[in-house]
Amino acid sequence: MKTIVPCLLLHLTLLSHAFSQDMPLSQVLIDGEGWEPVAEGFNFTDGLCTDQDGNLYFSDVKGGTAVYKVDLSGKVSEFIKDAPGISGLQWGSDGRLYACVAREKRVVVFDKNGKETELVNEVRPNDLVVTHRGDLYFTMTPTKEIRRIDSKGKMSVVSSGVVGKPNGITLSRDQGTLAVSDHGGKYVWAFRIEKDGSLAHPGNYMEMRTPVKDPEVAKGDGMATDIHGRYYVTTAEGLQMFDPTGRMGGVIATPDSESGLVSVGFAGPDHSYLHVANGGTVYRRKTKTRGALFFAKPEKNEAMPKP
Amino acid sequence: MKLRVLLISFLLVGALGAEDKDYAPGPDAMPKEGVPKGKVSQHKWLSDIFPGTERDYWVYVPSQYDGSKPACVMVFQDGAGFVKEKGSFRAPTVLDNLIHAGDIPVTIGIFINPGVVPPADEGQQPRKNRSFEYDTLSDQYARFLLEEILPEVGKSYKLTDNPVCRAICGNSSGGICAFTVAWERPDQFRKVVSHIGSFTNIRGGHVYPALIRKSDPKPLKVFLQDGENDLDNLHGNWPLANQQMALALKYSGYDYKFVMGTGKHSGRHGGSIFPDTLRWIWSDWQKLNP
Repeated sequence: MKTIVPCLLLHLTLLSHAFSQDMPLSQVLIDGEGWEPVAEGFNFTDGLCTDQDGNLYFSDVKGGTAVYKVDLSGKVSEFIKDAPGISGLQWGSDGRLYACVAREKRVVVFDKNGKETELVNEVRPNDLVVTHRGDLYFTMTPTKEIRRIDSKGKMSVVSSGVVGKPNGITLSRDQGTLAVSDHGGKYVWAFRIEKDGSLAHPGNYMEMRTPVKDPEVAKGDGMATDIHGRYYVTTAEGLQMFDPTGRMGGVIATPDSESGLVSVGFAGPDHSYLHVANGGTVYRRKTKTRGALFFAKPEKNEAMPKP
Repeated sequence: MKLRVLLISFLLVGALGAEDKDYAPGPDAMPKEGVPKGKVSQHKWLSDIFPGTERDYWVYVPSQYDGSKPACVMVFQDGAGFVKEKGSFRAPTVLDNLIHAGDIPVTIGIFINPGVVPPADEGQQPRKNRSFEYDTLSDQYARFLLEEILPEVGKSYKLTDNPVCRAICGNSSGGICAFTVAWERPDQFRKVVSHIGSFTNIRGGHVYPALIRKSDPKPLKVFLQDGENDLDNLHGNWPLANQQMALALKYSGYDYKFVMGTGKHSGRHGGSIFPDTLRWIWSDWQKLNP
């Protein structure tokens, strides 16, 4: 028996090195907590994002004329009027709200009073993410590009031709990895963000579940990240969840499968509610996790609590 | 003698309630007097096939290797765990003992860690590429070995290019990776050793039993080990998946061996029987021409 104890200790070391933790849906979903509508009667909701307090912001890319807000009491209001055709929204660490105005082919930013400043025009922006240090990355779905606008407003192409139809975009919690979903394929791609803000080492890191009738096209769309480093992506099959090593952890059912699922974001108290844009309705669902906030200081993934 | 050791370990495990920790390395995993030790060297590799990844790997060269003729090759996934002196496997010591005894051929061991894309900046975490490299059903890992690692090690040592003289071994995802390499490239690798192999749906690997049953049999020799108390999780059930693999290999007439123990998702059982596993996987070695 003498030799067994040290062997066991060594073996535990080996295990922790080699094997990754399993991350099933049961670590995220709560029994009895389903989807509930938080904003209804819109045409095509999109662009979900949150602020420090957990308020939710979204757009109505087809029918709406404003950026809408759902506050913590559940009240829906127009946050910024006269802002139609927006497909992506994110708060920056500078306290400004960045937006892809798909209809007008512009990327703009709103200050606290709703005053708009144009960052770039004559582009085809779909969705965006803004890092803590002020780099804005946005997808250009029709041209297979990912572009960056740095904190001084200079735009550059940081990926071209890698992702077939780049659409949703998010970061790892430490903001060292950029993840981009492919609307025309079945992968979510991971890139390393270099010190100068450029992208390197693309990898088809996550393989999304696809419909039986269209096995090569997942319709990957909006993305989000949680504090444990899990990635979420809306797809034709539902809201898919991946662990930080790229393994699919499960598919969360779409609230209304008759309508498309195009955007996902954490918001609400403690940023612990998953929200999805699903046609004319935004739904939310309470979870056991919390969203990663990219306007906040980058942090390493939080360890999972012991079962 | 071999039978007696097996019998004793079986009784011991039974008597103690068959716990995972009761599996331990045996005498063939201990240094023996008069057995010459091979040399282990550590290296680093930057891959193009897995762009941006870095990894460590180790090369074991037995003292019997003299460069006069090509050596057999055995590749290990999660190399650090196998090459460790005091781990569950202690592969260099086992290889020393078995090569010296003439039970297996003169074999160069290549122990490779999975890749990581290191962070660009301080305070950031690496992108771990292990699951992508090991769990994906494709020829990418085989190409990584054939186009990057084997040519690199081959600069220093004469390695066989006879697929029957090339073995590949791994635990868990490293186990399914071993099978995938041989399944994709039977012209290059024909010996597979899988412990607690993840033939489950991490990235689609649960389909192998079905593929094996409806494919023209490939000329592979496959060793599988698993334990009754192995994982049952979101990806699948490991004991059932390994039984499905074993029965599919049997159905299609493969040269295979399946050892089912009582262990958990650890290398302890696989490590405790590793010397006999090597004797079985290399049992044809006297007839081979590396």
